[in-house]
Amino acid sequence: MSTSLLNDWADWAPRLLDGLGLSLKVTGLSLAIGLTLGLVLALWSSAKRLPVRLPAIVLVEVGRGMPALVMLQLIYFGLPDAGLTLETFPAVVVALSLTTAAYTSEIIRAGLRAVPSGQLEAASALGMSGGDTQRFVVIPQGLRIALPTLMGFAILIFQISALAYSVGLPELLSQAYSVGAATYRYLDVLVLAGLFYLAVTIPASWLVARLERRLNRHL
Amino acid sequence: MTTDPSAGQAILSLSNVRKEYAGHVAVDDVDLTVSAGEVVAIIGPSGSGKSTTLRCINLLEVPDSGTVSVLGRTLDTARGVKHAELMQLRRDVGMVFQSFNLFPHLTVLRNVSLPQERVLGRSRKEADERSMALLEQVGLASKASAYPPKCSGGQQQRVAIARALALDPKVMLFDEPTSALDPELGLEVLAVMRQLADKGMTMIVVTHEIHFATEVADRLVVMSDGRIIEQGDPKAVLADPQVERTRTFLSAIRDR
Repeated sequence: MSTSLLNDWADWAPRLLDGLGLSLKVTGLSLAIGLTLGLVLALWSSAKRLPVRLPAIVLVEVGRGMPALVMLQLIYFGLPDAGLTLETFPAVVVALSLTTAAYTSEIIRAGLRAVPSGQLEAASALGMSGGDTQRFVVIPQGLRIALPTLMGFAILIFQISALAYSVGLPELLSQAYSVGAATYRYLDVLVLAGLFYLAVTIPASWLVARLERRLNRHL
Repeated sequence: MTTDPSAGQAILSLSNVRKEYAGHVAVDDVDLTVSAGEVVAIIGPSGSGKSTTLRCINLLEVPDSGTVSVLGRTLDTARGVKHAELMQLRRDVGMVFQSFNLFPHLTVLRNVSLPQERVLGRSRKEADERSMALLEQVGLASKASAYPPKCSGGQQQRVAIARALALDPKVMLFDEPTSALDPELGLEVLAVMRQLADKGMTMIVVTHEIHFATEVADRLVVMSDGRIIEQGDPKAVLADPQVERTRTFLSAIRDR
């Protein structure tokens, strides 16, 4: 590796770091909104009566079936035709939140269902209401069971945030691309961008694996 | 404590209770009246409808027909039960399960206090005081801040008893409370139950512990094929069963 490449990387790094910051911001915000919606959808789609849970099931299936890129394009380029225009940042956050909600609702639902039914019976025999049982017994344990899978999904959403490049949000990939366009050094700058992504995803995956082992120990 | 059920006032009665699962009759034509302070043990082979009968009392299973009456409030199960009626019933009747069913993510103390706060509206302080008194009673005050998975099965079951008692039930149901336990740990639980019986709690216990049934119960009820086939004073039933099915069941237990 020549010193000139390292020098160039050092020159580009601040721009890419700005982009990485924005990527992380988009990811964090989308996860906060998406996970909340995901929990709501998980509870909604667990409703006893089919007509009640049907809308939730439709939302989840559409959200999971639609590619995130299509969702993003639809919101950013499509919705203005219907009179709703969003800036790039909110458009990306809305699209990624919806994708997150749809996917995580299924992960959370599986976690909630893994709570042993004996505990539900005990709560019921104690006279606890259905709402209290969900709030104090099922949700805390269900989320804990779902946590490693949810964190794995969070890493995926961080990677997916690169799609925001397609609507011109100056996140990590966009920054790398504009450096490439100015210098014609696409290979060099994209490798650096890749390293930036890896610097986040590899330690994060490692953390998830550790968390998983720790949670399993207590089962 | 009395051995004559007619001496106390009836606190609970099942009348003509029937429960079917997909064509299989689990419980049929069950009549059972329990007096205040009485301890009733239900025995019988597996699949005889003991647990289903117990679960029909607090409507964890809603019978297809028949009435359940607790403290003078009669519920006709075929007509459907209102939510408020169900909640009242659950307040009056406590239940202990074979598999304890503690909430593993909450400490022992929270397990006992949470239902008091949510169901009876007690303050955290009030609830904790009551919980500690009950944990003391079952010999587990030192485990208050432990999590259930760190406790032995016998300890977990005693916590489950404290959790149910904390809501001041008038009747306690025990569904094979020692079946999941080593014999030694089972003894701790039986000791707590005996203590409770001595204090005058009305108890219905589904059990395979013939010794407990003889020593503590006022009445022994024998079930087979979803029906009550025999009942009476435990010692009398064990010494001289009147029904052939009871005889074969008892000899099977004794032969083990």
